[in-house]
Amino acid sequence: MSSVIWYMYEFARKSWAEKFAGAKSEYEIMEKPDRFRDFPEVFKEYCIGCGACTAACPAPGAIRLIRDEDTTDHDGLTYPEISVGACIRCGFCAEVCPTDPKTLTCGENHLIREEFTILPVDKMYVIDDYLCIRCKKCMKSCQVDAIIEEDNKITVDQSKCVSCGDCTDACPVKGALKVVHIANIDEQKQIIRLIVDTLEKTIENRQEEIKKLPHDKTFKMEYPLATLKEKALDIINKEDMVQDLMEKMTDRLKMRILTWDKDKCNNCRLCVNECPSGAISYNEEDGVKRDPDKCLRCSTCYQTCPFGVAGYYVAKFRMDQNIDEEDVILITLKPSQLPVVE
Amino acid sequence: MLDALKDIVRKSSIHVCLVNSGGCNGCDIEVVALLSPRYDLEQYGIYVHNNPREADVILVTGAVTEQWKENLRRIYTKAPEPKVVVALGNCPISGDVFNQEGSSVNAPVSDFIPVDAELSGCPPRPSEILEAILAVAPGAIAAKGRQKK
Repeated sequence: MSSVIWYMYEFARKSWAEKFAGAKSEYEIMEKPDRFRDFPEVFKEYCIGCGACTAACPAPGAIRLIRDEDTTDHDGLTYPEISVGACIRCGFCAEVCPTDPKTLTCGENHLIREEFTILPVDKMYVIDDYLCIRCKKCMKSCQVDAIIEEDNKITVDQSKCVSCGDCTDACPVKGALKVVHIANIDEQKQIIRLIVDTLEKTIENRQEEIKKLPHDKTFKMEYPLATLKEKALDIINKEDMVQDLMEKMTDRLKMRILTWDKDKCNNCRLCVNECPSGAISYNEEDGVKRDPDKCLRCSTCYQTCPFGVAGYYVAKFRMDQNIDEEDVILITLKPSQLPVVE
Repeated sequence: MLDALKDIVRKSSIHVCLVNSGGCNGCDIEVVALLSPRYDLEQYGIYVHNNPREADVILVTGAVTEQWKENLRRIYTKAPEPKVVVALGNCPISGDVFNQEGSSVNAPVSDFIPVDAELSGCPPRPSEILEAILAVAPGAIAAKGRQKK
């Protein structure tokens, strides 16, 4: 009985009644916190149409390069378009975007910011916060205490680092501690361009064999490293740097290969308007023509063409030794599994 | 009179059936977060109980795997009229990261059952889900109920 009286007394209190009547959620929970990474923002006037964002995007169909209509004054802009229904807000597109200022911005991500060192060294050590597991083995191995912990992030103090390389040996995660060659940037770019160009040319020279490839088979070929390395050494004569660069490149390089079968073409011109970079053109004499220098390898033409003129393959690379113990670059070519109308 | 009463009841008491048709479970966890004291979904008269027989709103997550193709339709027919289907997250809208070349997901969900509202995000924030449900669901259910007459 006493408890019932207590309840009646409790509910009759004015403050209780007021709270009950005016109950509502706090507004702040409906707001997004500052650190929340929302959908990417596109500034289309900066875009160079390189297609890096589409290649980096983990969700198919989330990002697409589109092209505005050409006017009499100037060509239409090429820029990425984000589909909100497929974007997972990972921010990879903003991270890989090479333009300055960035075409795509997307909150905070594991972007490595540029820093500079005061020592006359040609290597810089940076920690990728995204991959770092915070085991602090590098901190213990560092002889000059250049690796510090700040806000639960391990960073390299560039003003203290002496570029000895002990931390890379101690790091158990591949790629978490990155060695960046900061000298000879232009030469490095030349070498990368050389490798990509030669590899693509070698693959495209064997187009006829690739075209016959069945859908579930992979195509393997080798390219001797010796000649490529010689050419690279001509550009810059630093053995270890070239070796390091080539290893990293072949490890990460993923190439999209497009083949073009002109005999199958019926001049329907569906691909001409679909091409985001304007690489496919049509005139009465030559019919439909693809300009490989303008092509972004986005595969839109492959998905559009009803006659199978364009073929689309993905190539991956690895540095290895063949049976004769020569250094080679192993090339593995896989036909795309994208559905196509027969 | 009866219609007005039905409208009020439908608006103030919404029963939700959560269906995961083969996703990563992330959206389901965000819905569970909605039930926590911080967001407290039930103060708005929304009750999540995973029973299609008494559901007003079917909340679909996931990218529709092979086994779910038939079962999704079965669940939809089991729910009584008026009903509203909300596609929650990117998976039911576009297949998201699972919709890779050569994969066997059958997104979007709208191929199988009529979808009334879509909510993108991977996953959407609980506050976004709450906002969307409160903005759309009560009115939509009441409108559907009147429409059926």
